[in-house]
Amino acid sequence: MNTERSRVMSRKDHTSMKIRTVKLLVKEGASNVVKNKLMTFASITTIVITLFFLGIILLLAVNITSNIEVMKRDLKITVFLNIDVSPFQREEVITFIDGRKEAGIVSEYVYISKEQMFEDMKQILSNDALMKGLTPENMAESFEIKLTDPVYSEEFIQQLSALSGINKDNGIGYGKEELDKLEAILKVFNYIVMAVLAVLMVVSVFLISNTIRLTVFARRRQIEIMKYVGALDSFIRWPFIVEGLLIGFIGAVLSFLITSQAYSWLQHVLNIVLTNFSLAPLNVLEFGPVALRIFVIYAIFGVIIGGIGSFLSVRKHLNV
Amino acid sequence: MIKFVDATKVYSNGVVGLRNVTVKIDKGEFVFIIGPSGSGKSTFLKLIMHEEVPTEGEVYVNGYSVHDMPQSEVPYLRRSLGVVFQDFRLLPNKTAYDNVAFAMQIVEATNREIRRQVPLALGLVGLSKKAKAYPNQLSGGEQQRVVLARALVNNPAVLIADEPTGNLDPKTSWEIMNLLEEINQRGTTVIVATHEKSIVDAMKKRVITLEHGEIKSDEQKGSYFNED
Ligand SMILES: Nc1ncnc2c1ncn2[C@@H]1O[C@H](COP(=O)(O)OP(=O)(O)OP(=O)(O)O)[C@@H](O)[C@H]1O
Ligand SMILES: [Mg+2]
Repeated sequence: MNTERSRVMSRKDHTSMKIRTVKLLVKEGASNVVKNKLMTFASITTIVITLFFLGIILLLAVNITSNIEVMKRDLKITVFLNIDVSPFQREEVITFIDGRKEAGIVSEYVYISKEQMFEDMKQILSNDALMKGLTPENMAESFEIKLTDPVYSEEFIQQLSALSGINKDNGIGYGKEELDKLEAILKVFNYIVMAVLAVLMVVSVFLISNTIRLTVFARRRQIEIMKYVGALDSFIRWPFIVEGLLIGFIGAVLSFLITSQAYSWLQHVLNIVLTNFSLAPLNVLEFGPVALRIFVIYAIFGVIIGGIGSFLSVRKHLNV
Repeated sequence: MIKFVDATKVYSNGVVGLRNVTVKIDKGEFVFIIGPSGSGKSTFLKLIMHEEVPTEGEVYVNGYSVHDMPQSEVPYLRRSLGVVFQDFRLLPNKTAYDNVAFAMQIVEATNREIRRQVPLALGLVGLSKKAKAYPNQLSGGEQQRVVLARALVNNPAVLIADEPTGNLDPKTSWEIMNLLEEINQRGTTVIVATHEKSIVDAMKKRVITLEHGEIKSDEQKGSYFNED
């Protein structure tokens, strides 16, 4: 009985797919995409929308993070000395700050003397009655300190306030806590957005698997013939998988183009607004530097959604 | 070689398709399977190609144990078989040539093998001139020749035909049957399920007669309903 087996090509010849086979399968898959216009269009559209949302969220996140970072870096610690500070105490504070600067914790600082403060006050209050009777001696000296990284702020402020010349009643001015709170709120917002995104992805997978289902039904006859002739399961499946992957990829490319256009326009508009409201250094990032990353993310997500969609459909409707 | 050992097929709805069939068909034989409608002819052929599996008993085909084989081996069993149906089953959007070539692409033949084998197969069934025609441009007989070429192009050990002339006029039916005989003479085992009384009677081949899923008779140089 076994002698007749030799007429059949041996199994080992087929464990790895040949290049022309891959070409053939890809061609079949691509032609499915073209033939199945309406459903393909619907699937691609959902992918485009899903990825567009994903992109907006990613870009929003990138911008918010970068701007919070900018704001944090721009935060100044304002610290006042006691009005009756002694030269020794002042020297102690300056030595401390200089030491931190050498340690790479403080990036720069400005000392504001009593006279300087008095001039500034005069500017702000002009010749207001409030200024009457005030002399530079009533003013407090202060330092405006910028840190190299906001993470040092807590420790730095703690150590600084331990020095005797520092005025502790006025507190040490710093806006980091507010920014931290803002970040926490944004995190919650992120979770909500991710949930919406997950729903969109499920919808995309479902639509793609439906598209592939239609192709499978349209190709019943061909699949049947392939089975009778002895096609391997993988050979029958691959064109459908390719179809799904291709839909995903086309969706990704289209969505990327739309995203880049929409974003560039938005960036332009928002930056004008930010400048006019003199909110610089806040700004909306350029698309260019993140373009490649966004495209790769789109392509990966598109292909994964397409792949899962077609895989599910093939497994369910292709009884090979 | 094909061997049924006490094979029974009960369909999921409880209908018995085949009952306790034991039979052996040797390499190179030409066998007619006859019997009234519903007697189990198609079931017999479906068991050979693993379209159905026996609920009891054993079926051996070309060295494969069909009753007990992993799904992953089925394609290789099918490659050792050529199948022909009453309703042709050609792809309407492919030419005769491409329909035949498709069967070779599926088993991953090289383009060179395809270019060599397809014209040979079309020549064997006498259809070289219609290679570029689409199925709807061909007569029923011509379409069935394309199907035969497709079934033969991968050089199967066994050719299975389920009522191959069911949709053809008597003259064309004879042409197809003669072609099957020619194929058999080249060494391929041929198994034909049919209702063509006059052809079966005239060809004097081995005839297995089924009735209610059982083998009623099995005769060399048999004929149709020869008992009465
Ligand atoms: N898929 C199926 N499910 C349930 N019963 C089936 C199925 N296929 C066939 N049968 C039943 O099995 C019996 C044998 O059918 P089979 O198709 O083998 O007969 P046949 O001899 O080929 O008939 P015909 O000459 O009409 O083609 C019949 O009673 C039929 O109704
Ligand atoms: Mg039948």
